[in-house]
Amino acid sequence: MDRRDFMKLAGGTILVISSGTYAFQFLTGSIRSATGEGIDPNAVRWGMVIDLTKCQEGCTACLDACRQENNVALHGDPKLDVHWIRKVKAESMIGNEVQEKSILLLCNHCDKPPCAQVCPVQATYRRHDGIVIVDHHRCIGCRYCMIACPYNARQFNLKDNEHWANKERPKRSHGVAEACTLCAHRLDVGKPPACVEACQNVGAGAIMVGNLNDANSEVSQIISRYATKRLREELGTEPKVHYVGL
Amino acid sequence: MSFKNVIQSRMSLIAVLIAVLIIVYPLGYSVADYISAGNAAGEKPFLERTAPEITQCVEDTIYMRYHHWELLHAIREDVVRYGKRSEVSLNNCRSCHTSREKFCNKCHDAVSMKPDCFGCHYYP
Repeated sequence: MDRRDFMKLAGGTILVISSGTYAFQFLTGSIRSATGEGIDPNAVRWGMVIDLTKCQEGCTACLDACRQENNVALHGDPKLDVHWIRKVKAESMIGNEVQEKSILLLCNHCDKPPCAQVCPVQATYRRHDGIVIVDHHRCIGCRYCMIACPYNARQFNLKDNEHWANKERPKRSHGVAEACTLCAHRLDVGKPPACVEACQNVGAGAIMVGNLNDANSEVSQIISRYATKRLREELGTEPKVHYVGL
Repeated sequence: MSFKNVIQSRMSLIAVLIAVLIIVYPLGYSVADYISAGNAAGEKPFLERTAPEITQCVEDTIYMRYHHWELLHAIREDVVRYGKRSEVSLNNCRSCHTSREKFCNKCHDAVSMKPDCFGCHYYP
């Protein structure tokens, strides 16, 4: 081997090794953070239980409270309106009988969130307490997360929100995707989310939020006692919103 | 020696001169602009003291002038990414720096920098 070949071989090897390790760290690092791997199993893991048997027909207390608390845009145009929590009518056919049921739909805060896995700028991520949240400062508005979400929970701000009900909380300007944050700002200071509080004030108490890792918490008790279901469990996204009476 | 010959023999020097002019132009322009504006109306951004009894911010003035955005970014990182909601926040700045018009906009307008904060965050 002459000097020239030696230099080429040595340089090439260094290049391959260094770029390879960097690429490996970069790729696995982003996947790990998005799928929630390597997190403390004893940490708080917020989850929600929605008891549809207690949910009252025609009541919109939680929807209004959410809008009021988080300044969710309502322009009066169905194409532009943003919903963090929705009440939809679902029909199911059993034999010839059509059963109608109104269901609350919101971000499921999956343990393996597809929205966080596809986010090209890591604006969407899973917090250490299991809440899936968007960093609107970083969001570039590419809408990959909206395509990835199997629950259609992601919404896009096509227009600046002019209503600013709660001045203590930010609103969103146009060009960012958003979804339910499980009122992370309230959970951080020890208060229940706005929808939970509103539902209790109405007297229904159909929505509950608590720590899924704590076996004594209200939500864990309900999940262990009742046959709860989650939406589209077969996809393996591990959603953390459990329904009673679905 | 003809004029053409002089040009040709000094070609490299002229090229360097033009390059230096292009590089220095924006700097010189802004300096000249600053001097002329300062002389004309004395229009340096002036921040009003909205809370005269408080003389000390979280850091000294010169640090805050050049690095306030770094502090804001640090707070943002703590709150948005890690959920650490401490006493310090943009809302706390409001207690002394009461008005965006009287405070933030003064400097930011002078240097024509438009921060994106207030599209989403409330500041009176």
